[in-house]
Amino acid sequence: MKCVKNSLWLFLMPLILPLLPSAAQVQDKARSHWAFQKLAQPAAPLLNDSARVRTPVDVFLLARLQAKGLDFSPDAGREALVRRIYLDLIGLPPDPEEVRAFTRDKSADAVERLLDRLLASPHFGERWGRHWLDNAGYADVTGTDNDAGIIRLSENKWRYRDYVVHAFNDDRPFDRFLQEQIAGDELIEWRSAKHFSNEIAQHLIATGFLRMAADDTQENELNTLDIRYRVLHQTIETVSQNLLGLTMSCAKCHDHKVEPISQPDYYRLQALFQPAFNPERWLQPSQRQIPDIAAAQKEILDKHNASADQSIAELKKQQAKLGKSAQDQKTAGELGQKIAVLQAQRKSWGHWQTIYDVGPPPTTRVLRRGIPDQPRKEVLPGFLNVLTTPKGEQLLERPQPKAPSSGRRLALARWLTDADTPAGSLVLRVRVNRIWQQLFGTGIVSTSDNLGLSGARPSHPELLEWLSCEFRDRGQRLKPFLKLLMTSTVYRQASGQHPGGKEGKVSPHKVDPDNRLLWRMPLRRLESEIIRDSILAVSGKLERTIGGSPTPTEAKPDGTLVISDKGPLGAGPWRRSLYLLARRNYHPTLLGVFDQPNMTLNCTHRTAAPVVLQTLTMLNDAFVLEQARYLAQRVAQQADVAKPDAAIAAFQLVLCRGPRPAELAASIAFLRRQADNFREQKLLPAAASHKAFEQLCHMLLNTSEFVYIP
Amino acid sequence: MSDSVANGCLSMSRRDMLRASGLGLGYLALQFLQGQEQLRAANGGRFDLRPRSGHLPARASSVILLMQNGGPSQMDLFDPKPALKRLDGRTYEERVEMFQRGSEANRLLQSPFNFRKHGQCGMDFSEVLPHLASVADDLCMVRSMASEHNNHTEALVLFNTGKIFPGRPALGSWISYALGTENQNLPAYIVLRDPDGYNTSGTLLWQNGWLPAIYRGTEVSTRGTPILNLRRQDPLPTNVQTANLDFLARLNEEHRRRYPHETSLDARIQNYELAARMQLSAGSILDLSQETSATRRLYGLNDANTAGYGLRCLMARSLIEHGVRFVQVFPPVQPQFQPWDAHTNVLTENQAICGKTDLPSAGLIKDLKSRGLLENTIVIWSGEFGRLPVSQNGRGRDHNRNAFTLLLAGGGFKRGHVHGTTDDVGYRAADGRVTVQDLHATILRQLGLDHNRLTFHTHGSDESLTDARVTRARVVSEILQS
Repeated sequence: MKCVKNSLWLFLMPLILPLLPSAAQVQDKARSHWAFQKLAQPAAPLLNDSARVRTPVDVFLLARLQAKGLDFSPDAGREALVRRIYLDLIGLPPDPEEVRAFTRDKSADAVERLLDRLLASPHFGERWGRHWLDNAGYADVTGTDNDAGIIRLSENKWRYRDYVVHAFNDDRPFDRFLQEQIAGDELIEWRSAKHFSNEIAQHLIATGFLRMAADDTQENELNTLDIRYRVLHQTIETVSQNLLGLTMSCAKCHDHKVEPISQPDYYRLQALFQPAFNPERWLQPSQRQIPDIAAAQKEILDKHNASADQSIAELKKQQAKLGKSAQDQKTAGELGQKIAVLQAQRKSWGHWQTIYDVGPPPTTRVLRRGIPDQPRKEVLPGFLNVLTTPKGEQLLERPQPKAPSSGRRLALARWLTDADTPAGSLVLRVRVNRIWQQLFGTGIVSTSDNLGLSGARPSHPELLEWLSCEFRDRGQRLKPFLKLLMTSTVYRQASGQHPGGKEGKVSPHKVDPDNRLLWRMPLRRLESEIIRDSILAVSGKLERTIGGSPTPTEAKPDGTLVISDKGPLGAGPWRRSLYLLARRNYHPTLLGVFDQPNMTLNCTHRTAAPVVLQTLTMLNDAFVLEQARYLAQRVAQQADVAKPDAAIAAFQLVLCRGPRPAELAASIAFLRRQADNFREQKLLPAAASHKAFEQLCHMLLNTSEFVYIP
Repeated sequence: MSDSVANGCLSMSRRDMLRASGLGLGYLALQFLQGQEQLRAANGGRFDLRPRSGHLPARASSVILLMQNGGPSQMDLFDPKPALKRLDGRTYEERVEMFQRGSEANRLLQSPFNFRKHGQCGMDFSEVLPHLASVADDLCMVRSMASEHNNHTEALVLFNTGKIFPGRPALGSWISYALGTENQNLPAYIVLRDPDGYNTSGTLLWQNGWLPAIYRGTEVSTRGTPILNLRRQDPLPTNVQTANLDFLARLNEEHRRRYPHETSLDARIQNYELAARMQLSAGSILDLSQETSATRRLYGLNDANTAGYGLRCLMARSLIEHGVRFVQVFPPVQPQFQPWDAHTNVLTENQAICGKTDLPSAGLIKDLKSRGLLENTIVIWSGEFGRLPVSQNGRGRDHNRNAFTLLLAGGGFKRGHVHGTTDDVGYRAADGRVTVQDLHATILRQLGLDHNRLTFHTHGSDESLTDARVTRARVVSEILQS
């Protein structure tokens, strides 16, 4: 129901309705839309001056810059570059030793070797997996999550999160990655498996991708047809927004007025998901989850448990017959022990959140105005007409799943991942554009959630096309693709002050104030999770374990949401933020104030609004103050806090650079002034110096520089 | 009041789209869109809280929403139904929509309360609301409200955001986005809830959705620290704090000089200044100890039963007085977090919650009026839905989305006026039906905002609070002073 609704349309609608083209006309016209074409490799433009060109990416950008009389900014300083690369690839700042090693490395391939090392880090998957989890709409909870105090966890949903982290660390080709997530259960035979191999497990867990929509049907009062359809429709809309960069929701009720998506298109797509999410044969979340052991194994365990239960029941019957005599009491005790032993021998298993066909495909009908109890004409499964070629239609004729299943999602996965078709090409463009957005703040298409007719035009159409081909040709692997982007001059240039160009040159800020041509590297604020992770990294307290069940959080009566100290053993409070319990609407306070998005559906672009609560949090929040004290302790172990060395060390840890002379002078004066202030509070000189140094550490965490990628 | 409303982000894409569509919109369309883009460009492309005026002349400048969650019972409080008395215990001819169990018998239930006419206008009120009844001549009562859903969360999310599904911006967020706020030392949109806990749906009811985060409701507590992290748990000596902020400002200014084109860095530096101002000034605004004893009595602060909610109502007045744009007040969460949800016993449950809220709600209206603030402030008293005319398990009533009553005061709404009717037993809104979206459109209108023009571009389309193309929301001019 999200459609153009500004007053202009309202006002003009009666006038222009008769003029509006029919859905079929829109579709015909839209077939020529740039994003709906098959990928075609463009030739790189020729340049007369290529001194700044490191990769073909630079050629495309420089051509546009030079056309406006502009140039790239000078390369960023080594300290800024190493911090940028660390934060972008693993989301953690470099240690002072790592900064030193890189700044001293004068070899020609220093940047490449640094990139290789970080691309191989297990933290890479945490950083880039998080971006994907945003796109997928990841949450650990089942329902809409609308009460701070009530947490309805989906058992083992975090295994999907870990699957994503590992897939990124393994550099799984993107097409393969999508197929596993959309149709993992149809790619491998699992129902008749004797046991679940790791391969089967990964294929099943991957389909957790389609279990992200909020599902409230666990509560009987909400297990109604409209809420069931909501789960199905949100799944379609999230997947479309994520993979196709198209807004589908309008077409649920009527033909899309601005995009070439008809209402039957919407329901054809629905038919692909309906064998799994069948509103007429609905499974509540607790029924939909599957045991994490094979059916054959479960049968054995069930038998074992049944026989144990029978024995327990008999022993209890004997117990009940016993009287109060000493002998009887003794016998009762012995029987009790036997029961306890039998109970301990009962076997249990966990569950996975997956997707699979719950029965034969039902008939799919268009719903009048999207209303569940108003079905109209029948539609057959299919894809978006505007993106479909005859070859695409054939996918549905014989999908040949490897498991007993309709194969409809497998056909969908193949349709989305065939790079030789308009649909597969669009998926690649959307993906490449989001990767670009991640590194440069804004996508080549600035509306990274919308590459349709109403989306923005690409700032560099040929570059997006060329990059999409390049991504495809490099096996759809992210790591070499990132290396290509990050070795380019455009990524390595300075983000700060432009020298203003040489004499007689134009001011780039006047020509291109929004920096759409990338005459400098944009300054980007860190995401909420990376701010917290960076604080923990510099304080020395970060726990670096990869994966596992989420660290619980709890809502306090004062309105804060904090990491719970009631968590199970080993659920570290100082793990990376990726591993904190992922709710839809209730984020830990520190993360919430720094714009961690609500996962109502999904998120394709993080925002970074400077809000006063961020300031108050960084100044006064107990966690930040505690970590500032740890940071001070960490420095105090290696330097005398009353000497300049300590201030230098603190700058190096927090900002990954030493202080400039003026900053050092200001720091020394500051430390002296604060030590005097604390001595006025009757502190001994040593204690006063340490307190003063804690203030320095705390203020460094509060600097703008700390929360921005340089 | 310098800028006019920055009307969403009409991006280049829409202009491109229109240009490309070749539908002959031509000159008119482009002129309109370019006008909007220029407004936003004038604002540096940024979103902020500077005060600005709307599209139309405004009748009000601020809003207090007294969110009476749980589903207040219209036929026991505001909407007398003699037919219920006559037909008490009889089976109702129409099978009502049940939400929970217990109403299967479909037997009508008369109200345990007597009604009487109040004020010069002769507005009906139940005996359980003597204080609101005493301000009848200042109230506009709408008896023909209709919701869309019978569950609390969905109906509350609808009332506060315009749709039953969570994820959209709240009314207060839209208004802050449109109008900014007069007091630059405080957030534009403030939420006052019971410090003992959240009411049903909690923070969903003041979220910014896809609007920028500066438009989210900020919780201010009437117990302990009023604003989250406003102060440290272990306060620093003033000279230490001052030296800290001086040093930080120096580092940040130096950094700022290196990034001459990054305006977001200014906002960040400004926020440290605002935080310092808040630490100084918010304290005095939020300190209600200076209020006279007469004022305190007006809000029931002298009585433990009314003091909690009363303090929030008094705080709301103080915030509005100091130029906050939108304040949302919630009723007590004890003994239950949806206090108007009288499933078991209409008599005792209504007595309990009315006893806690009636006097302070009325006190707020009296206080605003005596200070001359009611003229420019819209006060809304409402639940998310109403209750059924039939009994649930004998003495209670189940949820009813088909009719409920709301009260409005100030802000150019008619005084001593009753709008709309329900059927004989109060089951359905009959004449003058008003939807939640109609209400939103009307409130925006009083603030000088056209609900069709207040939009924000997200997820590939221009979103609005009322989504009038689908909901057919309209301004209810019948309840407005001419």
